[in-house]
Amino acid sequence: MQQFEYASPASLNEALSLLGSKWGETDVLAGGTDQISLMKEYLHTPKRVVNIKGIKELHGVHHSPQGMRIGATTTFDELAMDKALAAEYPSLVTAVLGIASPQIRNMGTAGGDLCQRPRCWYFRGGYGVLALQDGKSLVPNGQNEFHAIFGGGPAYFVSPSSLGPALIALNAQVKLVSASGSRMVPVGKFFVSPQNDQSREIALMPNEILTEIVVPPARGVKNTTYEVRHKDALDWPLATASVALTMKGSSVGSARIVLGHVAPTPWVATQAEQALTGKSLSDDVIAQAADAAVADAKPLSQNVYKVQLAKVAVKRALMEAAGRA
Amino acid sequence: MATTTITKTEKLVGKAMRRQEDPRLITGSATYVDDIQMPGMLHACILRSPHGAANIKSVDIAAALAHPGVAAVYVGKDTEKVGPVPCGASLPGLRVPHHYVLAIDRVYFIGHPVAVVVATDKYIARDAVDLIEVEYETLQAVTDPEKAIGPGAPPVHPEWPDNVAFNYHQEGGDVDTAFAQAEVVVKQRITSQRLIPSSMETRGVVADYNTGDKALTIWSSTQIPHLMRTLVAQMLGAPEHKVRVVTPEVGGGFGSKLNVYAEEALMGFVAMKLGQPVKWIESRRENCMCTIHGRGHVDYFEVAAKKDGTILGIKLKLIQDLGAYHQLLTPAIPTLSVLMMPGLYRCQNVRADIVGAFTNAVPTDAYRGAGRPEATHGIERMVDILAAELKMDPAEIRLKNFIHNDEFPYATGTGLSYDSGNYAAPLHKAMDLIDYHNLREEQRQARSQGRLMGIGLSTYGEICAFGPSPATPAGGWESATVKIEPSGMVTVMTGSSPHGQGEETTFAQITADELGVGIDDVIVLHGDTAIVQYGIGTFGSRGTAVGGTAVYFALQELKKKIKKYGAMLLESEEVSFSDGVCVDHKTGKSVTLAEIAGASHRAMKLPPGTQPGMVETYFWEPPNFAFPFGAHAVVTEVNRETGDIEIKRYVAVDDCGNIINPLIVAGQVHGGVVQGLGQALWEQAVYDDNGQLITGEFMDYAIPRASMIPWIETEHTVTPSPVNPLGVKGVGEAGTIGCSPAVVNSVVDALSTLGVRHIDMPMTPEKIWNLMEGARA
Repeated sequence: MQQFEYASPASLNEALSLLGSKWGETDVLAGGTDQISLMKEYLHTPKRVVNIKGIKELHGVHHSPQGMRIGATTTFDELAMDKALAAEYPSLVTAVLGIASPQIRNMGTAGGDLCQRPRCWYFRGGYGVLALQDGKSLVPNGQNEFHAIFGGGPAYFVSPSSLGPALIALNAQVKLVSASGSRMVPVGKFFVSPQNDQSREIALMPNEILTEIVVPPARGVKNTTYEVRHKDALDWPLATASVALTMKGSSVGSARIVLGHVAPTPWVATQAEQALTGKSLSDDVIAQAADAAVADAKPLSQNVYKVQLAKVAVKRALMEAAGRA
Repeated sequence: MATTTITKTEKLVGKAMRRQEDPRLITGSATYVDDIQMPGMLHACILRSPHGAANIKSVDIAAALAHPGVAAVYVGKDTEKVGPVPCGASLPGLRVPHHYVLAIDRVYFIGHPVAVVVATDKYIARDAVDLIEVEYETLQAVTDPEKAIGPGAPPVHPEWPDNVAFNYHQEGGDVDTAFAQAEVVVKQRITSQRLIPSSMETRGVVADYNTGDKALTIWSSTQIPHLMRTLVAQMLGAPEHKVRVVTPEVGGGFGSKLNVYAEEALMGFVAMKLGQPVKWIESRRENCMCTIHGRGHVDYFEVAAKKDGTILGIKLKLIQDLGAYHQLLTPAIPTLSVLMMPGLYRCQNVRADIVGAFTNAVPTDAYRGAGRPEATHGIERMVDILAAELKMDPAEIRLKNFIHNDEFPYATGTGLSYDSGNYAAPLHKAMDLIDYHNLREEQRQARSQGRLMGIGLSTYGEICAFGPSPATPAGGWESATVKIEPSGMVTVMTGSSPHGQGEETTFAQITADELGVGIDDVIVLHGDTAIVQYGIGTFGSRGTAVGGTAVYFALQELKKKIKKYGAMLLESEEVSFSDGVCVDHKTGKSVTLAEIAGASHRAMKLPPGTQPGMVETYFWEPPNFAFPFGAHAVVTEVNRETGDIEIKRYVAVDDCGNIINPLIVAGQVHGGVVQGLGQALWEQAVYDDNGQLITGEFMDYAIPRASMIPWIETEHTVTPSPVNPLGVKGVGEAGTIGCSPAVVNSVVDALSTLGVRHIDMPMTPEKIWNLMEGARA
């Protein structure tokens, strides 16, 4: 690990004043579950690390008639323990509890989940977000069993965020604050597929801090998450689906279906949403929606299986939403 | 002398007792290597090769040396005279590469040690490692053993371009006739993948050199303190009597610590150079990269049989992935597979050919079962394949071929003598427990509903209790000293080196029964060469069968002495000793063990020809191995959508001879089964074509978690071993050996309706799904 300057400010303003204007100068530290390993592996070599865990206003879950605000440094365990959250947003709770292990859930934070770097082993091996060697991506002909089946190119990693798909399905926004002001960004726009080797996979600017997540009310919205994972251990899921359905009587009024771990960003399955709208949640309709979710999948040489898993995730998330899990 | 009431009658052997060692383990008061702190202690960190194969053009240590807090940096040239890292196994024509403790001019695998940095704390040492500049010229690596011995492969060691470390042939009976007479021959390529042993505690060494005494003390997390002392002394050119090896608490070994590694000698070298204590603790990634791996077999099996299922002959071509070097027992492991290849079956006609292949990978060596899981997996798969070919029930074909009860001791075609057995008994018990016949009916119904349900059996045997010295490198005996202190309290010193097997408890149970004392009146010491007489160690399921027997015989010697003192104190010709008292039955007078022990130490009077004190030492040489066996039965169901395998029931019926502590035996079976499930379902060490280990941490190497493990139902049959007076056989590895074939047989059975005949491990959901897709296509 490279030597760095460490700051642990007590106020957001002070924290913002300590940030640099370019990536690489300063890093924000919250739970540290990803940040520390990035630094140990020399993938991040910040000159200054700004710990935001001492900033009280960034912490905690707040409920109001306008919805829920989740402070950036709220831990996964705190999210899982929040009864009001569990009642209204089961899709988020499932996503949170899928994060292994208890130790990680005690340390890791909601903001960190959205800001964590890709798990792609080429990225972790120092080849950058596009996994480039001699200007060409190593992924299409390489070890790509865990890589993107949607939206691949030029980036092929998959978004590692556990909360992202559920937050997008719930139409949540994030608040990004810099010394010169703040902006609200829909979570769906927060994740971006980097087009060059220097850009990031999130819309956050180097001088900004993600301070909170704002989730609209979801009473009456059937929202579920299903994660396919092969080992109940320290790992990320292979494919997930988060759904949020507003019902009109016994048929679906509007549907949001977002896949996780299948693309460089959480992936909105528009065709699956269309396949559901106006229909009742019969087994056939669910099967059609699951098929539609992966109709446009473009698997790589070693990850055809992920297409099947994404389909299964959509099916099982919908079955649960239909009360037939 | 007072007439004492006899209070101690309850026998402890056979009783399920909690372990004596557990309070310190579960309250955090145990001392592991990393807990050792010494004044002035330095910390070492090792620079390791990032390449599978490369020439070292230059190493620049200037920046690392200049880093504040760095005490020393050593490279290969500095340690050229240390070592080599020893290989204890010998085979005819074995090629043994010189295994330097630090690479000199070439690296042979990812993680190969290149330099060591010693600093005032571990963080400085780690940072300074990054300041060493090594110029490598990368070379083509080869990590697949079949490719390595094939045409055009890059040589791992340039002096042996064919990458063949040895060829080994073994034959029994008349194989050619057996195959000529066969009515059916089944063939299958079966692999046992590379596995990372993954002990909970990684390796670690503290070395301290007393410059005045010229004496070196090494604390190491090892299974073999005495052998380590002998071998490390040799590696360092240090006189053996001035080297002391201490094993503090050892957090698991599974065979990976049945070894002497470069780091033990390297830390000794550093401590002797600097005259300061030094500590090195292996990181988890180093453990994955640099501690031995297990398995690494490619087996080509052929089985000849009659149409009624009678097995006539077995052929095996075995390619063993050795890695780049021989560690302590590397080349010997596949020879154990050959010894066990007929399993429990009456087949004398066997032929095996092993090719030991060098690869650019960390050496393979003993890992829980060491050669026997591979053999059992092979024969148990082949028997199922034969049964499928002949449309026979897998239980029926096994029962037909088992060695009969009246044939023991049974001389195998591979030269072993199976000590005792009743092979049908655990199979029948397992089938009863799992309700085999109704299960088959249930399976028919499941299949009619389109569900993929499987039932798998394995009937395993294993070589345990290593072993007769002629068959075990460095000796196969074990030692014990039993002392009765002046107060009557008992100290047992065993040459075994238990590290999770619970022998501080089982040996205390044996001792308590023989001496008629309470279990808390006994302490079992081990793992310090300055305290304990020379011993061999704990591995190969030998702890109780060999080490426990040595304790038993030391106790018999001690009881003779106790009776002599008892007779003297009671002024009697004839006394008996039981339940902690010597009794003269003519007079009814008695004297307690404590009184006898006190008298023997005060030595006011001595029985004729008897020395003062109350100590006996016994070195026991076993006349044979012991051969446990058992049957595992597994019910699985495969998810059609995802290929996930659900284990619905797991029944393990083991026969490890007499059982000293059923609780510990159950724990050993559970642990073994978990590691077997790991191999069957999840674990695989994967190197890419460049020699990069891509499963170098627990993110990518899937050891099982508790929540992934099914309920394991354990039962036993008891067939005592005639090899030792305790009648015990050994159980440490049984679970692992019995497990993987039972699970694979079950899943193959589940998919047999789709035409699946064999699946290699690990049976990942993706692999299963692809098989199902292939069957659909």
